[in-house]
Amino acid sequence: MTTDWISMPLVGLPLISSLVLLAYVATVSPAARERLGPTVRMVSLVLSLLMLVLTTAMFFGDNYIEGTLEWASMSFGSFNYEFRYEWIEPLGINWSVGMDALSFPMVWLTTFLLPITIVATWHEKNAAVYFPLILMMGGALIGVFVALDLFMFYVFWELTLIPMFFLILKWGGYDRKYASQKFFIYTFAASVIMLLGLVTVYFLQPENLAHAGTWTGRTFDIPTLTAHAQSANAGGEWFLGVGLQKLLFVMLMIGFLVKLPSVPFHTWLPDAHVQAPTGGSMLLAGVMLKMGAYGMFRLPLSLFPHAAEHFQFWLLALGMVSLVWGAVVCLGQTNLKKMVAYSSVSHMGVILIGIATMQPLGWAAALFMMFAHGIISPMLFAVCGAFKHHYHSMEIGAMRGMAKHSPWLATSMMFAWMASLGLPLLAGFVAELMMFLALWHFIAAEGWSVLWMVGPAFVLAITAAYYLWSMQRTIFEGGEKTQPPESLHGQPVPDITDAEKWAMVIMAAFTILFGVMPWIALDMMNGWTVAFFETLLIPILTGGA
Amino acid sequence: MEKIEPFGEGFVVALAPEFVLVVGLFTLMIVPNLGDAKFRIPLTQIRIPWFFGGSRAKFESDPRLPGLFATSFLTVAFVLATMSFVNGMNRTQIASGDNVMLQVDEFSRMFELIFYGALALASAASVNRMPATTRADRTASGLYNNRRQVDFYILLMTTGLGMSVVALAQDLFLLFIGLELASFSTYVLVSFMKETKEGTEAGMKYFIVGSVASGVGLYGLSLLYLWAGSLQFSALEVAFAANGMESLPLIALGMLLVGFGFKVSAAPFHFAAPDAYAGATAPVAGVLATASKAMGILGLLRVLLAVASPEATDGAAVWLVALGVLSVVTMTWGNIAALGSTNPKRMLAYSSVAHAGYMMAAITAIGALNWEDGHVNLSNDAALVVVTALIFHLTVLVCFKLGAFLVLSLLESEKGGHTLESLGGLAKRDPFLAVAMFVFMMSLAGVPPLSGFVSKLLVIMGIVKVALLDVTVNSDLSFADIHWVWYLALAMVINSAISVFYYLRVGLVMYFNDPEEGREGPLPAGRPVRLAILACLVTTVFFGVGAGQLIALCESAANALVGAW
Repeated sequence: MTTDWISMPLVGLPLISSLVLLAYVATVSPAARERLGPTVRMVSLVLSLLMLVLTTAMFFGDNYIEGTLEWASMSFGSFNYEFRYEWIEPLGINWSVGMDALSFPMVWLTTFLLPITIVATWHEKNAAVYFPLILMMGGALIGVFVALDLFMFYVFWELTLIPMFFLILKWGGYDRKYASQKFFIYTFAASVIMLLGLVTVYFLQPENLAHAGTWTGRTFDIPTLTAHAQSANAGGEWFLGVGLQKLLFVMLMIGFLVKLPSVPFHTWLPDAHVQAPTGGSMLLAGVMLKMGAYGMFRLPLSLFPHAAEHFQFWLLALGMVSLVWGAVVCLGQTNLKKMVAYSSVSHMGVILIGIATMQPLGWAAALFMMFAHGIISPMLFAVCGAFKHHYHSMEIGAMRGMAKHSPWLATSMMFAWMASLGLPLLAGFVAELMMFLALWHFIAAEGWSVLWMVGPAFVLAITAAYYLWSMQRTIFEGGEKTQPPESLHGQPVPDITDAEKWAMVIMAAFTILFGVMPWIALDMMNGWTVAFFETLLIPILTGGA
Repeated sequence: MEKIEPFGEGFVVALAPEFVLVVGLFTLMIVPNLGDAKFRIPLTQIRIPWFFGGSRAKFESDPRLPGLFATSFLTVAFVLATMSFVNGMNRTQIASGDNVMLQVDEFSRMFELIFYGALALASAASVNRMPATTRADRTASGLYNNRRQVDFYILLMTTGLGMSVVALAQDLFLLFIGLELASFSTYVLVSFMKETKEGTEAGMKYFIVGSVASGVGLYGLSLLYLWAGSLQFSALEVAFAANGMESLPLIALGMLLVGFGFKVSAAPFHFAAPDAYAGATAPVAGVLATASKAMGILGLLRVLLAVASPEATDGAAVWLVALGVLSVVTMTWGNIAALGSTNPKRMLAYSSVAHAGYMMAAITAIGALNWEDGHVNLSNDAALVVVTALIFHLTVLVCFKLGAFLVLSLLESEKGGHTLESLGGLAKRDPFLAVAMFVFMMSLAGVPPLSGFVSKLLVIMGIVKVALLDVTVNSDLSFADIHWVWYLALAMVINSAISVFYYLRVGLVMYFNDPEEGREGPLPAGRPVRLAILACLVTTVFFGVGAGQLIALCESAANALVGAW
């Protein structure tokens, strides 16, 4: 039995069910909407769990579904669960989906985070609208990761903005209007520049790639384009010529760097995160940022490796600046969520450095960082959300001696903070270690000064400093005379709810799981990067050896 | 191609939609006046039933009757125009002798679909909008309001008739007559709310600027006639191909550009547009922004592409640079002005200016093709892409731009819609309208997967395709090899990014602000308007997700224009 169509419901189910739920909810009276909340929430949870079961089954697919599925040893350019359906035929636009070892971890991560997010924000207000939006977000994100058609990719890329915009706008903090607007405009502006780049690539392809019957004679198919670029890049030739390849590389990278975000373009992120509701932040940090890194691997790095090599230094510089700047800014934050947001910027710098090393190890580090950060950062934001939810404040130091009053929250916070600063045996450590090795290797190979290592090493210390310092000021300080937050107005200090506990425990468990046994995900990432280097990069960059 | 003499055999069948409109016009004039009046023959006592005036039957004295008539006749015309696609287009020329006057083909029919669709929606939306007194209100103003009902819809129908003449015309003079018929109707429609200061002012401004633009255009037309001796498109085409670089036709072309530039509200002829849109009722403003604009673009296409296509020194059309510069100025000006407007109708007017800029950029791209012997050579399919993109854009514009105006029209019926704040809390007050408005705004901004995105993508694709036409891909390819119209696409995407700001602001106000004082309750029911909005909403989404069919339709229309070259 062929199960290639399976990625279709994976995208369609959350999108369609969320639209149906929203459409139904919109017709009922506000009172009935309030009553519907728990039902809608349960439906959303069941649907998201169903998707998780589906993707997990896909992971074990070699035994259970497909017969001969091997994520770790796929050859470059091949995809599992490929499915194609003609969508807008005249333009050569297909509904074309498929997964390889680059996209599958991200898809699994999305389906993993959906139920977690739903559970962690179980008591969110206006539930009948909130949970369908979370589902819609999930569907759009999966759409980005499984799309093998440029048009489809762009459609889902932009579609993620809309539920997130509403999540920030309706459930956000006091400055949500500004934050949601900034978030939307920033990323949209970057995406349209990317779109122009994509269209230019579309028309520069030779006419024989498209299937017969398309009216422009061109195709949006990503694997076809990649394969063509691969042959056109071969032997030191530049696909589309030197100047144009550089320009298009920059145009595409602008879209992805803003999404990632890398330092000069990062300012939307702290605003969006601080104002976003917990669920929005969890998905935003967990998966949406990874869209940027994913897009880099899928498009500019695959299509324009020469330009990538040309801009290698700049990528490295951007990564370094993001890493250091994000960490330094963290030190000065008094807002818990803002600190966590800047730490995300810092960690995205790690991904960028990993990419810039142009080595299999560095790329695998970047991929694993995407994955590990995708589990850890939602936990960070879940902790922040719980803090805000129970103490009505986000200020570091508003609450001192939390360990005494709210042991569960204190433990979760400590765990998440430790995971994020890269404690060994937790998932983040693996990625950071790999990045350091790759960077060291790169510097040694290039004969650069060892001073290049100072920044990243320094950041390790700063990261430890800002996390430990903030823990000291919230969890421990105060001793016997603890200081409950003023915002509680003398009421007893609560601990987190059972739903939040469950979410924290699951996220912590998986952080440990992927810290102790990183090969579960790392093997396939490694397989993909090695295949990428062997089939695409090395023959091209060494002049067709 | 079949040729038919005017009023010859098959004439009525070929022009069935137009005749439906004519019949509708007469119906509108006659039916509300039918009564039991009798005519007494002088000096006798013999009274002959004469039926005009007297006491009228109950159904025809209903003031909503004209609106229903107009809507149904426009809808029938729309359906008939659609049928001609379904049945396989029977291309027909109406010609007396060698003088081809009208031509029915996919291109003209497609534009008629746009016109009739927009007008039918606007007419449906106006049914509840016009101050009508359904009970027997014997006061002067009550009767006056009821009488005016007919005038409004007659003007809507004549607008439609004029526009279809523009779509069909194969003679520049005939095209101008159609343009003027439509324009004069819209001048009156804009100032129809003459009780309000804004309405009168808007009508006045629109009329003065419009008539100056028409005059300039007409003068250009006469110069063209002086030069070529004929205003037939075919004759002009030949004349341009032979010696289009003479100064007389160039001056004439520039003047025509002014005339049509006003219709599409291109900078610097757009100054009257924001005032006109703001002063007119929202459905009328919607017609101006969609059907009237489509008419202007149609004129530009006809004149610039079908007639004045021949090469200048560098193998491009003579008007290329002028139009390219104007397009960038127009889109930038429109977007920046829209950023600062707090009246949603003015905002939409400026956004309409910006959209005009996008479309002019697309037309520029066609001009940048290599023209040989006055005709497009191998690059025919590139022109096809651009023209298809334009038609697609104009078609879907009816869905979301008119839809946005219709939402405003419901707000107007509670004296709102002139400030952004009056949209406040719409999400709470009327979720359907808020969702619809948000979708329209997102579509205008070009957010996938809505139709506005597909149309913008098509336009960008068309421009990029032309820019890369002469590019052969090899490793020496540098950025300088790309034709400069590529920068128009760049200007377009930058402008799209700017425009997101003000479209998004509408969404923010609807979902975030509290309702204004005295506007807490739900909006008036207005079932026809809501149906029209629903139709707009469904098509906005459908033409985005399932764009293939409409693209194929637009392609056949574009083929009718481009394929003839």
